[in-house]
Formats: sequence, structure tokens, C-alpha cells
Amino acid sequence: MRARAPMLGRFRYGYVAPAALLVAGLLYAPFLWTAYLSLTRYDGLESPAWIGLDNFVKLFDDAALLTSTRNTLIWVVGTMVLPVGLGLLVAVLSYDIKGGAWFRVPFMLPYALSGAGLAMVWSPILSHDGVANRLLGVDTAFLQDSPYNTLAMLLVWTWQQLGVNTLLFVVGLQSIPKEPIEAARLDGASGWRLFRHVIWPLMRPLTAVVVGLALVAGLKTFDIVWVLTQGGPGRNSETLAVTMYKETFVSSDYGYGSAVAVMLTVVTGLASYLYLRRQVTAT
Amino acid sequence: MIRRAVLVVLGLIWLGPTYLLLVNASRPADSYDPGSAWIPSGDFALLRNFVSAVEGANLSGSLASTALYSVVSPLLGVVIGALAGYTIVVLRLRHGFWWFLLIFGGTVFPSQMLLVPLFVGYSDAGLYDSRAGMILLYTAINVPLAAFVLRNFYSGVAFSIFEAARMDGASTWRIFWRIYLPISFTALAAVFILEFTFIWNDLIFGLTLTQTEEVRPVMTAIAGLMTDVYAGTPVPVGLAAGLVVSLPTVVLFLATQRLFARGLALGSVH
Repeated sequence: MRARAPMLGRFRYGYVAPAALLVAGLLYAPFLWTAYLSLTRYDGLESPAWIGLDNFVKLFDDAALLTSTRNTLIWVVGTMVLPVGLGLLVAVLSYDIKGGAWFRVPFMLPYALSGAGLAMVWSPILSHDGVANRLLGVDTAFLQDSPYNTLAMLLVWTWQQLGVNTLLFVVGLQSIPKEPIEAARLDGASGWRLFRHVIWPLMRPLTAVVVGLALVAGLKTFDIVWVLTQGGPGRNSETLAVTMYKETFVSSDYGYGSAVAVMLTVVTGLASYLYLRRQVTAT
Repeated sequence: MIRRAVLVVLGLIWLGPTYLLLVNASRPADSYDPGSAWIPSGDFALLRNFVSAVEGANLSGSLASTALYSVVSPLLGVVIGALAGYTIVVLRLRHGFWWFLLIFGGTVFPSQMLLVPLFVGYSDAGLYDSRAGMILLYTAINVPLAAFVLRNFYSGVAFSIFEAARMDGASTWRIFWRIYLPISFTALAAVFILEFTFIWNDLIFGLTLTQTEEVRPVMTAIAGLMTDVYAGTPVPVGLAAGLVVSLPTVVLFLATQRLFARGLALGSVH
């Protein structure tokens, strides 16, 4: 042991210190502080006043929170189904055909747009006098009526996210072992049956990861709603993350905003845990 | 054949909005009309719209800031994370796994849990609305993933390399910089690309922690333009602005497509 310490150097703690300090100071400490603030009344000016669970009690009869919980649920289910499902479809259709990469280009382009760029593109399309209404020959307020505005934004989100899921699935499809597929082909399997009984089982672990990511991303939906509707009109397209932001920085109710953040975190943690457990027991 | 047909139909639907973006961003600023949005304008005004977007919305300051954040923070984060991974795996830090868990655990916090204390703490510390403050935060956010990936990477490197270098009298610091960092280049680059994209597209931290045009990241600045359907900005100029801010990630993506896919695969472990 005596000989090993100099071999491995003496400054080891100095080497992990920057990482540990950054993470502790800028991620852990704020996290714990928010947990504490959720139990206080706090407006950012006077010092926080302890009020126990009052903020959490308030959560349960806040009509705006009910709406944003419902919207968040739509986002979660929607992101788990649409971008992932269509992404898998495009990947499976294109991964082994000649020039497949070219067929995927239209789906990759939107991924290059940032959240704000996305809003720039879709806002004139979805606006009252916009392209979508003219194209469909209707007069719909796509971003006004709840919950349709959430569904409209979900489609916009699908438009953007499909490509990245496709890419993940293509990488996955190209790296699955060739032997079982060849063997199944020799046995006469093709098309849907080949996919259902050979490819799909091999893809399951990756799909589980992609769906899990979509679950967490859906729960934390913020950017797209913020840039397209800012949670409005009124508060009818807010998600939990938007509600948290507004309660805190618009209404200056830091304590209540923190409680929403805590609730969001608990829900995310619980959902991830249950999802992971199901995946583990399923395999 | 059916496969190709389905792909083409879906692809055309997907191209629609992209087409509208390009056609209407190239239209003279005052000639947008939703009724004829599908028809290209004879007058190619894309570059003029770029200039109007950058000047009119005062984006040059935020573009420079965003570029600074998206390059410097991932660089710092990747090196700091790699150093931690190296120390834990190669230098066999005592209770290394727990150190790793501590550092990697930083990825699980939703940003909403960080906003209030960061806002209040930054205000108290004089870091609110400062470039240094943004770089510090973004670096911290990058560290866990870098530590995770590089720890895995270094686990696969033969320890004899380290021993041999040590026998030759190299310091652990030198071995890190001269051997371990260079051999992990692709892993570092993949993490860098992922984090660059994350920071470039970040909205919420910019929204919460900055105020002035010079410091404010460009996504936040653009989102500001958006309030009330463009807030009077002509549609072509708004679209051009959307293109300008998306360009760097597109270029990076095209230049490093393979690495990008790898980075995504790494990122999915997040």
C-alpha cells in the first residue's frame, strides 16, 4: 500500500474537486434549497417564512394547476406515442433500402431548428389567418382553444422530434445481429412477420430507452409552449413546468413556485421508477 | 415499393413547413401574405432579411454570447468531467464509485428545481446577468455527462499504459493531458457536440438569469420576439432570424453526423 500511493499520485482529491464542487454548488445546493423553499412563503425580497405544507395543500385546489396537470399528461402520452412510434416506422421502412439516408432527410431537417426557430416557423402557419386554416379550408383557432392548442403543439413537437428518434432507431437497427434476420429470411419470414417476431424483440431494449426519454421529456415540457403560447391564452395551455415558471417569476410567489417544482420532480421520479421497474420485470 | 411510397408521402408532409420556412424567409420583408405563402417570390431577399433580423432585433450581442457559452462551457465541462473520470478509474480514488455517483447524480435534477435558488443566489453574488455566471452554470450542467462517458471510456483502457508512463517518470497530471485526454478524443467530441447543442438551444436558464441584450442567449432573445405572434416583426424577418439561430447546430450536425449519432446514443443514457 505504501508503494502504491505515490504511484497513483497525491493530488487525487484535487482532481475530482472541480467536478464535485461545481455539481454540489450549482446543482445539489439549489435543489435542496428549492425543496426547503417549497415549505415557506417567500417573495424573493423578505426572508422565507416557514408555513409547513400550506403550499402543497394549495396545489390541490388550484384550478390552473389542474389544467396544467392535464396538459402535462397529454404531453407525456403524446410524446411517448407520436414521435417515438412514427420515428420507429420511418426507421424500419428506410434502414435497409438503397438510398435510405436520402429518404430520411426530410425528417432530419426540422431537428436542426431550435425551440425558438420552431415557433418562428409554426406561428404564421397556425395563426388565425395562417397557412393551415387556408390549406384545410377551415377557420380554427389552433393555438387558442384548450386542449386543442396543446394537441396542435404536440403535432409541432412531433414534426421536430421524429427525425432524432428515427436516427436512434436506425443506429439500433443497423447494429442488431444479422444472423437471426438472415435465418428468419431463409425460413420465409418477411415484411410484417419478420419485423414482429425477429426485429422487434431485438429492438425492444432500445425502444424502452427511447420511450423512457420521451416520458421524462414530456413531463418537463416547457420550451415549445413558452415560445408558442406562453401558456395562454389565459392559462389554458400551461404545463407544470410553465406553471412553475409563471408562479415564480411572473407572480413572484417563490414558495408556491418551488412547491410546483417539487411536485414535478416527485412525479418525474416516480414515473421513471415505475417505468424502469416495469422494463426490468418485462425482460 | 410500398415502403418507399409511405416514406415519400410522409416525407412530403414533413417537407411542407420546411419549404414554407425557406420560401418565406427569402421573401422581401414587406410582402408576406398567408394566401400566397406557397408561391416563391421572384425577389430573393434572404440575405437582406438576415441582416434585418440581426440588426433589427439586436441579435449580434446575444449571438456572440451564445457562441461563447456553447464553446467554452462544454470545453471546460468535458475536461473537468474527464479529469474526474480519470481520477476515479485510473488513479483508483478511494470510494471512487461514490464520488462518481455524487457527480453523475447531478443529471437527475429538473431545471425547475434549480431556478429560484440560482436566481436569488446569482443576484446576491453579483452573477445575475453576467457572462461569467452563465459559463459557470452551463459548465456545471455539462460535468455529469462528461464524467459518466469518460469514466466508462477509461475503464476500457489497459492499466499497463498508465503503469508504463509512470515508470518513465511522468506525473499523473501529465499522463492525463498527454495520454488519456488524446486517446478519448472521439468520446470527448461526442459529448462536446451534445452539450454544444444543449447550450445553444437553452431557453430557460437564459430567461431566468439574464436580462441585457449583450448577455442574453440568443434563444431567449428570439423567444422575446415571439410574444404576440412576432410582436410586429415581419414574418420573413422572423423566419430569417429562426434560420440564423439554427444554422450553427446544422453546420455542426452536418460536419459530424457520425459523432452526432454517437453523442445521441451517449446522451440517451442521461
